Amino acid sequence: MRLYDKIVKKPWPYWIGGSILAVLNVSLLIATDSVWKITTGFLYWGAAVLEKLGYNSADWYYFSAYDHGLKESETFFNNSYTVLNIAVIVGALLAVLWANEFKWKKIKNTRQFFFALIGGVLMGYGTRLSFGCNIGAYFSAIPSFSLHGWIFAVFMFAGAWLGSKILFKYIL
Amino acid sequence: MVEYKLDCLYEACPIPLLKALKQLEKMKIGDILIMHTDHNCSIVNVVEWTKKQGHYIDYVEIVEGEWEIYIEKAR
Amino acid sequence: MTSSRIEALKKQKQMEIRKKNNQMHYAVLGTTITFMIYFMLINYHLRLSSFWIIGILLGITMQRSRFCFASSFRDPIMVGSTSLLKAVLLAFIISTIGFFIIQYKTIVLNPDYLITEIPGQLSPVGIHTAIGAVLFGVGMVVAGGCASGTLIRIGEGYMMQLVVLIGFIIGSTLGAKHFVFWDKTLISKAPIIYFPKYLGFFPSLILQLILLCSLYYIADWYDKKNNITITM
Repeated sequence: MRLYDKIVKKPWPYWIGGSILAVLNVSLLIATDSVWKITTGFLYWGAAVLEKLGYNSADWYYFSAYDHGLKESETFFNNSYTVLNIAVIVGALLAVLWANEFKWKKIKNTRQFFFALIGGVLMGYGTRLSFGCNIGAYFSAIPSFSLHGWIFAVFMFAGAWLGSKILFKYIL
Repeated sequence: MVEYKLDCLYEACPIPLLKALKQLEKMKIGDILIMHTDHNCSIVNVVEWTKKQGHYIDYVEIVEGEWEIYIEKAR
Repeated sequence: MTSSRIEALKKQKQMEIRKKNNQMHYAVLGTTITFMIYFMLINYHLRLSSFWIIGILLGITMQRSRFCFASSFRDPIMVGSTSLLKAVLLAFIISTIGFFIIQYKTIVLNPDYLITEIPGQLSPVGIHTAIGAVLFGVGMVVAGGCASGTLIRIGEGYMMQLVVLIGFIIGSTLGAKHFVFWDKTLISKAPIIYFPKYLGFFPSLILQLILLCSLYYIADWYDKKNNITITM
């Protein structure tokens, strides 16, 4: 019971979490020849919705440039990003359930809703310019010895500083 | 020796921590702050920050996914 | 670190706590389904099965350790604590070594390598990276979590992060639609800068490790500087 508490109930120290994430990212590269990336999957979902609505999103210039297109036999919904992203959600859900801590958490007010939406749009737009989020263009890019990871880190720090100012002023 | 309550239900990160920080500044030594939160990052980052500041702290899970954090201002 | 009054409050509360609903059977059910999907994928599509199981482990690890890339950037600015940033730097040190071994193997086999063949994540770098990163940084703090944090919190049952995800999808779709403009003005002129190409393989590794370790040291110093109990 004590071991159960230690693993399932008490939060793990950050450094253990970081080390496991690093090992998992390396394992992913070995097993699938691809690093941990998230946000292109979100774009694919957006493109899938547009396709359903009758737009020809697959013809966009974006998907023909820089290796951005789908791999063979993949669709905007059926692809490795979808599997990985859903797996991360399910993993978190399982961890919370085993800890007996699951709870639906509703949205507090319209202001929270508004900031969540705006923040999401800003992040989404940003990731298309920087070729990834703080996983694809940072957590997986710096170990790949690519300069763009370091540049992303520096300017994300600047953005986080600006965001903190906004948070102090309007949200708190 | 006053007890303060702080309701942080449904707040997103890092609002609970910032609220606690603000409240603690106003309090006198020996006062107690009781935080009610459902954000499971709070039981790590609020606890870590308060310990670093040298206050007394502990927490209890009251319902699944909800915690009460007790902080006694020590300096 | 606790005090007698806190202990008393805790005891009192523990008496009042109503019996909790047990979510364990959902956990068992969920775990079973997860494994079933895993074995199904092994037969149907081996590569996807690796994505599935590693994704599950990533989710569990991030949830259990409360790992949050957003706050690794935000906490040093807001409250002067760097324990998460240090954990991220440690992760970089480990994955730098891991990625190095994988890339080195590829390049030994093929000395005239093309940059696009290198395993890992290599992308053009330039002003667009900076603009994107600033937008991302602001959005991350305002929305209370980055992409990975959003996924984790959806799993934890936050409605708010579903809204973030919808915003994220809208934003990235818009960004892809406008990509022609950005590509013409900025990105197409930007190079991919892969350190080993310029510095050589082992020097890049050593330099990067030195840089990461110095950042770790600075972060540690910064954390202690903001630690009031020590200066007392």
